[in-house]
Amino acid sequence: MADANAETLAINDWGGGVHPYRIGHRKLGMWLFIMSDSLTFGALLVTYSYARVASVRWPTPFSIYPSIAFSTVMTLVLLSSSLTMVFAVSASKRGKRGSARKWIVATMALGLTFVVLHMMEWRHLIVDEGLAPFQLPDEWLKGWPGASPLFGSTFFGITGLHMFHVLTGVIYLGVIAARIKKLNDDVEIAGLYWHFVDLVWMFVFPLIYLLSVDYNHVLGK
Amino acid sequence: MVDTKQREVTTLNMILLALAVLSLAVAVWDVFSDTFRAGTDDLFLVLVCLMLALLFAISPLMWARANGWLKNPFAEEAFAEGGAEMEVTHEEHGGSDRQNIMVWGVLIGLTAVEVFLAYIQIPLTLMVIILMGASIIKAALIIAYFMHLKFERLSLILTIVPTLVVLLCLFAILFPDSFRLHNLRPAEAAQQAEPER
Repeated sequence: MADANAETLAINDWGGGVHPYRIGHRKLGMWLFIMSDSLTFGALLVTYSYARVASVRWPTPFSIYPSIAFSTVMTLVLLSSSLTMVFAVSASKRGKRGSARKWIVATMALGLTFVVLHMMEWRHLIVDEGLAPFQLPDEWLKGWPGASPLFGSTFFGITGLHMFHVLTGVIYLGVIAARIKKLNDDVEIAGLYWHFVDLVWMFVFPLIYLLSVDYNHVLGK
Repeated sequence: MVDTKQREVTTLNMILLALAVLSLAVAVWDVFSDTFRAGTDDLFLVLVCLMLALLFAISPLMWARANGWLKNPFAEEAFAEGGAEMEVTHEEHGGSDRQNIMVWGVLIGLTAVEVFLAYIQIPLTLMVIILMGASIIKAALIIAYFMHLKFERLSLILTIVPTLVVLLCLFAILFPDSFRLHNLRPAEAAQQAEPER
């Protein structure tokens, strides 16, 4: 690699040298973006937990089937898309650009599947249940009297921002796949972003879905 | 000349080590003092002290490791797992496909455990603790293997991971305040909410 000189300059781990982190500036930029973005999601999830604990009542409306089963499938899809992205990066590292492109397209397909499944989930909540960002459906209010109306805003806010990230990632990967012949380490940098989106879901899924299971069948399902 | 520099490094590391021990001592003292009530203030103080101790300890620990006084306890395990591959992967910047598939399998397995626990319904507090623990393990696996951070230079790891952990902990410090807010609610409303929260 081009950083071979840095090796001799940097004696120990804090030695600095020309490339103090032994990665390119763009990859470092992506890491810095990921750090700031994880703080965004961290703040949102802490706010959600705060609002939930501080509320008198918080609706737990998700039935095991179909809601939890549905979101579990979404989780599996997103995890698998991370694996295909790993294969894309390793193919690109070995110089197999055609193979890398195929794996990226597979990742995009899985990402889009995730978005479509999530949209169906949203449609179910908005149209069938009547949930709005700052208002609970009447049926829910009967089941959980005095429940906090913030359920909708935290749910749509957090999952919406995450879905936006997935959608942006699909577009980003599409650009990378289209221009893969002219690019070098961009596949790996896009991979960092994609894995981060997957990582965020690993916190959103348990906090939003698995802790809101309707065990008492309040909604009669 | 070299001796002077070495003495300087030794002195500085000793000072840092002393500060780390001092920070740790303050944290321990706070926990065992009579005024400890596990409120927001106490958690804040303990967390800040532990963070300071970690911060001060990083340099002496790395110095000790560079001098060979400190052996990595995970080194042998990694050798048994990856074997000679570890050396190669460092150059190649990542793990093998087989390793990645194994990580993916562990991630799926942890997710399955989480969903199973949600299915059988366990007490809420236990559930939260298990879910958060599993999520942190999953996040660490994704960062280490999928995002290749394990195979990056130590300086990058030490720049990214402690910063994130510290900042996210600072968010979480405010969290116990929500219990206070919950307890300030009118009594009849709180009574209604007894069974679940």
